[in-house]
This record gives sequence, structure tokens and C-alpha cells, in this order.
Amino acid sequence: MKPPAFEYVAAESVEEATARLAEYGDDARPIAGGQSLVPMMNFRLVSPAVLVDIRRIAPPDAIGEADGHVRIGALTRHRALETSPLIRDRFPVLAAAMTHVAHLAIRNRGTIGGSLCHADPAAELPAMAVLLDARIHVARRNGERIVEAGAFFEGALWTALEDGEIVTRIDFPLLPPGTGWGFREFARRHGDFALAGAAATVTGSAGRAAEVRIALFGVGETPVRAAAAEALLTGTGFEPDAVAAAIDALRNAVDPDDDLHASADYRRHLAGILAGRALGDAWARAGGGAA
Amino acid sequence: MERTSIALTVNGVRHERKVEPRRLLSDFLREDLGLTGTHVGCEHGVCGACTVLLDGDSARSCLTFAVQCDGASVRTVEGLGEIGALHPLQESFRRHHALQCGFCTPGMLMTALDLLAKYPLATDEEIRAGLSGNLCRCTGYANIVAAVREAAAARGDDRP
Amino acid sequence: MSAGAPAGAAGTARPGIVGARVQRREDPRLLTGRGSYTDDRKAAGAVHVAFCRSDRAHARIAGIDAAQARQAPGVLGVFTAEDIAAVARPIRATSNMPDYRATEFAPLARGKVRHVGEPVAAVVAGDRYLAEDAAALVAVDYDPLPDITDPEEALADRVLLHEDAGTNLIAAREFARGDVDGAMTGAALVVEDRFRIRRKTPAAIENRCYLAEYDAGRQALTLHGSTQVPGLLRDALAEIFDLPGHRLRVVAPDVGGGFGAKASLYPEEVVVCALAMRLGRPVKWTGDRMEDLTATSQAFDEIVRAKLALDADGRMVGLEADVIGDIGAYSIYPWTASLEPVQVVSFLPGPYRIAAYRGRVRAVATSKTPTGPYRGVGRPVSTFVMERLVDMAARRLALDPAEIRARNLVRDEEFPYKAGSGIVWDRAGFQDCLRMALDRFGYAERRAEQAAARGDGRSVGIGIASYAELTGIGSRISAAPGMPINTGTERATIEIDSTGAVTAAFGIASHGQGLETTLAQIVAEELGVRVEDVDIVHGDSAAVAHSTGTYASRSIVLAGGAATLSARSLREQVVKAASHILEAAETDIEMRDGVVSVAGTDASITLRELARAFYTEMRRIPKEARESLDLSASATYDPFFGTTTAATHIAEVEIDPQTFGVAVRRYVVAEDCGRVVNPMIVDGQVHGGVAQGIGAALLEEVVHDDSGQILTGSFVDYVVPSAAEIPDIEAVHLDTESPSTLGGYRGMGEGGTIGAPAAVANAVADALSGLDIQINELPVTPERLFRLIRNTEGNEGEPRHGF
Repeated sequence: MKPPAFEYVAAESVEEATARLAEYGDDARPIAGGQSLVPMMNFRLVSPAVLVDIRRIAPPDAIGEADGHVRIGALTRHRALETSPLIRDRFPVLAAAMTHVAHLAIRNRGTIGGSLCHADPAAELPAMAVLLDARIHVARRNGERIVEAGAFFEGALWTALEDGEIVTRIDFPLLPPGTGWGFREFARRHGDFALAGAAATVTGSAGRAAEVRIALFGVGETPVRAAAAEALLTGTGFEPDAVAAAIDALRNAVDPDDDLHASADYRRHLAGILAGRALGDAWARAGGGAA
Repeated sequence: MERTSIALTVNGVRHERKVEPRRLLSDFLREDLGLTGTHVGCEHGVCGACTVLLDGDSARSCLTFAVQCDGASVRTVEGLGEIGALHPLQESFRRHHALQCGFCTPGMLMTALDLLAKYPLATDEEIRAGLSGNLCRCTGYANIVAAVREAAAARGDDRP
Repeated sequence: MSAGAPAGAAGTARPGIVGARVQRREDPRLLTGRGSYTDDRKAAGAVHVAFCRSDRAHARIAGIDAAQARQAPGVLGVFTAEDIAAVARPIRATSNMPDYRATEFAPLARGKVRHVGEPVAAVVAGDRYLAEDAAALVAVDYDPLPDITDPEEALADRVLLHEDAGTNLIAAREFARGDVDGAMTGAALVVEDRFRIRRKTPAAIENRCYLAEYDAGRQALTLHGSTQVPGLLRDALAEIFDLPGHRLRVVAPDVGGGFGAKASLYPEEVVVCALAMRLGRPVKWTGDRMEDLTATSQAFDEIVRAKLALDADGRMVGLEADVIGDIGAYSIYPWTASLEPVQVVSFLPGPYRIAAYRGRVRAVATSKTPTGPYRGVGRPVSTFVMERLVDMAARRLALDPAEIRARNLVRDEEFPYKAGSGIVWDRAGFQDCLRMALDRFGYAERRAEQAAARGDGRSVGIGIASYAELTGIGSRISAAPGMPINTGTERATIEIDSTGAVTAAFGIASHGQGLETTLAQIVAEELGVRVEDVDIVHGDSAAVAHSTGTYASRSIVLAGGAATLSARSLREQVVKAASHILEAAETDIEMRDGVVSVAGTDASITLRELARAFYTEMRRIPKEARESLDLSASATYDPFFGTTTAATHIAEVEIDPQTFGVAVRRYVVAEDCGRVVNPMIVDGQVHGGVAQGIGAALLEEVVHDDSGQILTGSFVDYVVPSAAEIPDIEAVHLDTESPSTLGGYRGMGEGGTIGAPAAVANAVADALSGLDIQINELPVTPERLFRLIRNTEGNEGEPRHGF
């Protein structure tokens, strides 16, 4: 399993990277950590004529806070998110999710921009982007744009990125105080892509859920927000009937596929179980709505 | 295909080579530098046999192009101890019979080194989770876990 | 670790090298990256092969266009079936077993392809990258043929895989003893089910790799390869290429695990040899994981209908089974396609006293990767089926699973016991292993904890599995029936050279078992030297005149026996030589730790000094002695029948009642593997075997789609357990000596894999005993549990939460 031949170009800046990508058109692919791209190349599932290495673009792994957001450079490694004190403080759900991403050796190399662009339906980081309403900064030659996470993922391994575009930064809007979180996934083997997963945040207020977010992954072409379930739980005190109705709603809303490891029915079942657990954790961490 | 010049340090020794861009770091180490201690088991990042330390962090050499390692520092199993002067982690593996066929062992050692540097490894559950990206078909893992457990305890105050 | 009598207690006083936790001789090189696996070997001018492999399960080859591939950069040639047929004789795994049909396999597909992954063309280039580039350019024109994927449908012979065989039924056999029909009709209870154990693959972490070098001057061929059976390959290749053995050498250097997958002759081995001779350059093929998962021999894949009859006291009175084995596309050389499925019916009665038995087996060819030997061969499946039946019966009779086993396991006074399939068990601790396992597990306390856990809504299950196996099989019983090879003997040659170094040469091929250490322990103890004084040569067809290799839990019994015989013979020679050199009576000569001395005196010399005196200092011994003595001895050991190994496994699992994830929490093995050479290594073998068995029970499955495509072509999709899925495994050993083998050894390399699928299956069934479901299919994945549980609830909706 050896990769096909390609031409290698190392870019030192966003401008250079986007210029090179534009120059080579759809024959070119950017490469950063390579943890998703290289396996596909080794299987010869993809054969880019040119790889534009963007790894050396500075700053490689900036994580900072500004204007009500935590901003994360696209070349930040999963491992840096896992360990960043700022992320642990502002988005503990994100730090927790990172510990479920494959294995240390992969997290050491894999970048968050790469994970978003690869857009595996079962990957944790895209689900986090969707859960946390991330804003994804995209650069192309002579321009840039911001894509909301909800519009970024268009299908399995398919995003809103156009040829020649790269992700440069991800902004996560800060969560309100008193927000609890939960993250659950189920994989057959530790570190594997999950058969299904769910993440939730609940912002409590006087015994009620003022805001509820639920993201599901591995149960469709893209990570999704369970909008109907969120609406059913907002304003409730997480009474069992309310939670059960929300679980039913999200099961009805997802559209998983059958594959080798799990049927659509089982995935739908798991989505409900895992969302229920994630919501329970989030509600408890939100102080049961007490804040 | 055009070759690209790279310079990198492997186990403290600087190497300059011209490589085809598609050359995997695993093949570069094994074929070009003759460092065959790094093994190749799947070439898709699952088995972990090819794990090396790249600028101090564990990495799959089968998922890394050598050309991306220009300027990098690589440590392979050959850079640990030697026969007659084993690294303490290698000693622990030997004492606990943590290897049988030995094929996964170099990757297991390099992964364990990185885990020992970065995680408390306070419980077997944590050790097992940390090692879960390295497949072994011979040992059933218990003795590998024991070897890493002992190495974790021996870190003393260096514990992360 | 050992319970029961300490090592050696049953025999004479021993120096204690055998039985000690000697650190492995192999480890320093393997730990430092200084091992030498086949792919590590560099040969000047070597070229690399990549195969163009079939992407069809069953098709006629209408044409192969290699013109473009031949023009690709770095390509030296593209070769197809005719090129190989010109120099290699065809290969058939023959057997004199009735109702067996050998299938011819061509190293490169001829006329037809019969499974996805079958090699069609070999592309030779300067390196593997270029060879793969060119292999992708080979255009094969296929005329599709109907796929043959379902073994039961294949039996109807509507489509034939091998037209010359005239049927897809490659082998059939029946064993019968006693009045089975009478037993069934007269029984108080009959339990029965249809069991399925899905196809799995050995998945050694080292992929297969071969390097052939042809010395045109000597006209000699050397094959280095990741194989368990260098001697067997040498003999096969000698036939295929019509070469004498002294011009054909097969070497297995360090080998990264085998588990049976590297114990057969493979097309790629023939191809690299043929091409090395044709091209006059070293030719290497380094298989990749996708090739391993599609073109290395696979295992299991059986459908077993079985019923067990018992009397009202839970005593077994009759057993009947019908086995269909899906053997894949070819009958593998030399073991034949009968190996795995026939062993299922041979071993199905297990360690139990059952008067009446009828077992029928049919081995069916399908358009899938060939099956072959895999750790446990047949017995993981037979044990799964039998142990499920035993638990099903216990439940119906309201007997504890431990109690029903105690009532039926063959008792000490009943050995030798002849089972219904004709297997004769020699004395082994069937009952002892059950008792020891229950003790170590803390069975009564755990059952109480289980009840408490259930009260808390947790699903905890405990599963027991007992089994017996034949190991160290000698010449009287073939490892596979009717094959024209001898698997019943092994040979050793031990030599003291002129420096006093001891070299012991064997034909077995250690590939993780630590035989460089354990055989050195045996030689050292028998000869009277230190372990570190002995070097073990193995894995080389040139080491001894005949050998087959390491497989079937045979190496310690057979090679250990040969080591014992030859070391004893050599010791006699040393004593005679020493009596001349030290001028003392032979009866006064002692040798310990490599020092030869005269009893009751301070006269002594080292082995080094003795060797120098013998070989170099010409006046130290008389000419007659020099000619009659030889500091070298060879011996062949034949255990004739072989011996019995037995064990009981106990697994405890907990099932998440909502996700259906199964976690193995505890695992105990009590084993009678005879005299233990090195308890550290024995425990390691148990751990590894159990881990593979847990994989078979919960995770590992080769999946094909309806058109015969393998969906599990990567380690992402073929799920080998990691450290996080395997619990600590406690092993206890009975450690009594086998009465049937020299040294008292029993083989034990496979047992873990034999017991674990059954123990885990029984534990899962126990955890779910509140539900009306049957655990009759492995692996029991979360998906299967989900479907089973939902179906019992009689609707298509969500399973109720909790059991």
C-alpha cells in the first residue's frame, strides 16, 4: 500500500498556499498533519497530483480569546486542544471530546482544520463545531469568507470548501455561564470512529433549561444538531417525560445508514441512548438548572 | 518523479537525502537509512507498529511523508538502549515478558515513552486506553500493561 | 503462578532449569530493533513484486493486457500464469481420505479467478512503489460468473467453483459410535440449536513477506520467508521446481507472529522463487495489510446443527452434529480443506463422557479466500458449540453450569478414554482444571456478587468452558488426515564445537513462542550446561534433514523430546571424552553448568577446555576414541500418539443494557499443559490465546457482501482487539507430567483461543438469561445483540431500556 506519486510544494504563508492551490486547481490538495489524507492515499483512494503542505504556515497552533470567542488556528493539533488550559476552562466539552479522537500518536499530528475539512461523519471535531456554533474562517486566493459550522458540512467527506480554499481559523463563541456539558460516544474498540455519538450543552436558569444544544455524529452523512429535541427541552426542568419526548424526536430526525458495523436501526437506537446520557450529564453539570 | 532534498536528525545523527515526495517516513527509515527496527504492519495508521517519536511526539511513520520531516528530529527504537545496555522501559518489557514475536514491540515502546511523558498513567484503565492504538496479536496485552505500569511508577517526581 | 505440585516434583531431582522463569534469549535483539524479519533483509540488486489481484469473486479471465504496465517506469516484467506454469509443477493438497477432492491451485490464476484477492499477475519493478504503480495498469478482462458465497446454497452445485471436481463438496466425513437415535429418543432432555461462527482471519502483525535469492553459480535457491514451516516448504518447493534439497533452502528468520496463517504453502512463495530463477536477481514480495486480509488463509466459518441428549440427572447420553464448513476457494496445501471442519466433528464431544455420538461434516468450496489452519483448528468452534449446549442443558435442568460439567467430565480413573469420534484422551486433569478454575475465580462469591449486581439493574454474566485437545501429535495420528507428509516427528542435532560452544539445531520455527529460550532450557538441563551456553538454531530447512515446523502445539513436545534424546546422547559422549582427558572412570564424571569434573576430586575442566583437548590437542585422547567419539548427537523424537491437554476457562462479562456493549471484566484459565518449561512463557501463551479468543467472540469477523467482495479489507474494519478490550487474564497450571511424552510436556500454544469464544459466549448468555434469546452466533457484536433483543420483544421498535 504505497501512495501514488505527487508533486510536493511547501507553503510558508496562507497567501502562498492559496496561490499554489489556485494555480493547480482540483489536481491539488492541501496537506497538514496528513492523518486522514495519507491513509486514503496509501489505499490509492485519492491521487492528488500536487500536495501543498500548509503545516509551516505561522502561527501554527494559536489558541486565544477575543471578542467573545475562542479562536483556534486551523493548524492546531488535537493534542493541543486536549491540553489547552483555555479550552479546558471555556469549552470543557471540547477538551473531553478530544480525548476520544483516535490515539495519542494521531492527536499529536492531526490538525483541527484537517479534521473539519476531512468531514468524517463520525469524527468528534466536526460534531463539536456544529454543537458550539463554530465559525470557520476560510481563505482562498485574494479573499476569505466565514462559514457557519451548520453550513460547512455538506455530506460524508464533503464540505462547503471550494477548490483552492483552506481553513485558517475556527472561532467558538463563548458559552453562557452556568452551562453544563455532556459527551458520549460508543465505539467497538477504544479509539475507533464511533458507531454513534452525542454531545450536549445545557444552560440552566432557575431550575429550567434556558438553552439546550444537542449534536449527534455517526448517524448520518454529517454531524447534525437535534433541533426538534432541543426545542422540546428548552424551558423544561428535564422531567423524564420531556427527556423521553426529546429522545423520540431526535431518533425520528436522524437518518443513519446501514454499514458493516451497525445497522441504521441500531445507530438510531444508540443516538437516543447516548443523547440521553449526554443530556443527563449536561443537566447535572448545569446544576440541574439551579444556576 | 523529481526528488526533494531533506535533512533530518535520526537518533542524534544528521542525514541528508534526496527523496521522492511520496516516500513514507517508515520506508525512508527502513530502506534509505537501514533502520529496520521500525516495523510496518498496516500502512493505514491503525496498528501502530511503525510509531516513532517525531520532534518528541509519537507519530505514525506510515502516515508521514519523509519530505514533511525536513528539519525534524526523529527517534526510533534504535535510539533507545542497546543490547547489554537496555533502556529502562526495554528492561521492564523484558522483565514482564511484554513481547513474544516482537513485531509490534518497537511501536509499543515508542508509544509508551510518549504516554509516560504526557499522562499520569495512574490506573490500568488509563494505560490500556493509552496503548489502544498499538495492536499486539501475541501477548494479550497484560504483560505490556504491567511493564508500562512499572515504568510509570519508576518515574517518581517526573510524573506529569 | 503455578498451583499444584511444583515443577519436577513428580520426577527425579532436577537442576531446576526446566521450570524456571528464565528471561527470554530473543528479547534483547527484538527490544532494540535489532531483530531480523524477512523484510529487514536486504539483498543486493533485489527487485520487488506487486501483484495484480482479482477484484472479482468468481470470473473467467478473458484476457490480460499488460502492455501499459510493462512500459511503466522501473518495470522489469509482468508475469502471468503461463510464465509460472513453465517452470513450476502444479500444486494439489492431496489426501487419501475418502470423499475428498483435491483442488489444483495455480500460483497465478489460470483461466478463472475464484476469490477477491487471488493473484492474477506479478509485476516486478525496482521498488514496491513502482511495482504498485504498474500493477494498477494491468488490465484484466473478466467474464463474470455467478458468485458462490452461501455455503448451504453451494452444496446444491448449481454453480461449480472447480469444474474438474464436479461438485463444490470438497470433503465429507462421518464419525459414529453407539446408538445415537436411541439416546435421543430415550433422553429426559434434548437441547439443540443451529450455531454459526463467522469467518475470521489470523492477522499476525507482520504481514507475509518472502525474499527469494538464486545463486546461478551454484544453481541454488534460497527463500527467506515469514513462515512457520520452512522444512515443509522446502520439501514442497523441491517437488514444484524439481530441485534437490541441498540446492534449495528455506529460512524463517524472525517471524512476526503466525497463528497458523504462515503454516501453509502460498502462491506468492512459488512466484518469488520462480521469478528469482528466471530473472537471476533477488525477488522480494512484502505483503501489505490489504493483501493479508484478502489473501492470507482465513478460519472458522462454520454452520453447526447440534443436539445433546441428557438423562434426568444431567448426564450426557448422546450427541449429534452436522457441520458445514465454508472452506473458501481452494483446498490449502498441505493441510487440505478438510482440516478445520473435520476437526470440529472430531473434537465436538469434548472432555465429556458420552456413549453415543454421530458427527457429520461437509466442507464446501465458495468464492472466498481459502481457509487454513488457525490457532485451535476446529476446536474453538467445537468447544463453542458443545459448551453452549452444556449451558443450555444446565439451565433447562436447573443445574449450576459448574455442577453439570463436574458430572460429565471424564474422571481420572476413566483414562485412557476413547471419545465417540475415536480420539483417545490420555490422563489429564479434566476435573482438576474445573476445580482449580472455580477456586481461582472465587466462583461462589462471584455468583453472589452477580446476583447483587442484577439487583442493581446491571447485566453481569459468568461463563465456563471446558475442553480437551490433542497436542504434540506423533506419527500414529496425522495432524490432518491422509496427507502425504509426516507431521509426527522432529529432529535435533546438538554439537559442541572446538570452542566449546553448544549449538542445538532444530527444524521447528519459533515465531513468538520463545523456543530459543525454552529449548535452550531443556538442552542445558539435560546436558549439564548453562542456558546462555546454548545457542538454538531453528527456522532453517538446512538445520536438520527433515522437519515440518512450528504449528499444532507441537514444538515443545516434539522438538523438546528430540532435544532431550540428543542432549542425553551427547552427554554420554562428553563423559567418555572427559574420562580420557581427566583420566577417570566414566561413572565418576559429572557435568554441571558447563564444567566437567571428577566426583570426589577437585579435578575439573570447562567445556571449552574439554573441546580444545578433544579437537585440537591431539595427544589428549587416543586415536580410537577420537574416531569413535563425536561431540555431536542427533536424535529424532516421535511421541507416536501424542498427548492430551485440558483446561477450563471462566469469563465474567458485563453488558451495557442500553448500548449492548460487552466488556470482559475477569478471566481465569486453569490448564493442564503437563510439565511447564518456563511459566512466564506459558502464561504469555495463555494470555495471547485468550485475547484472540475474545476477539473471535466479540469483535473479529471477515465480512463479504453478496457479490463476494471483502468488506473488511483494512484494520479499520477488521477489528482486532486492543489493550482496552482485553482484561487481565489469570492462568493457573496443574503442572503434572504427561504420561505419554518424553519429559512429560504437553502442547499449549493454542488452548487460549480454544476456550475463550465458548467462555465469553456462555457469559454473555448468562448475563442475558432473563431474556428468551439464544447466543448461537459469534462474534456476538452489539449489533447482533440489538437485533436479538429487539426480536424477542416482538416488535420493530426500540428495545425497552434494561433487560
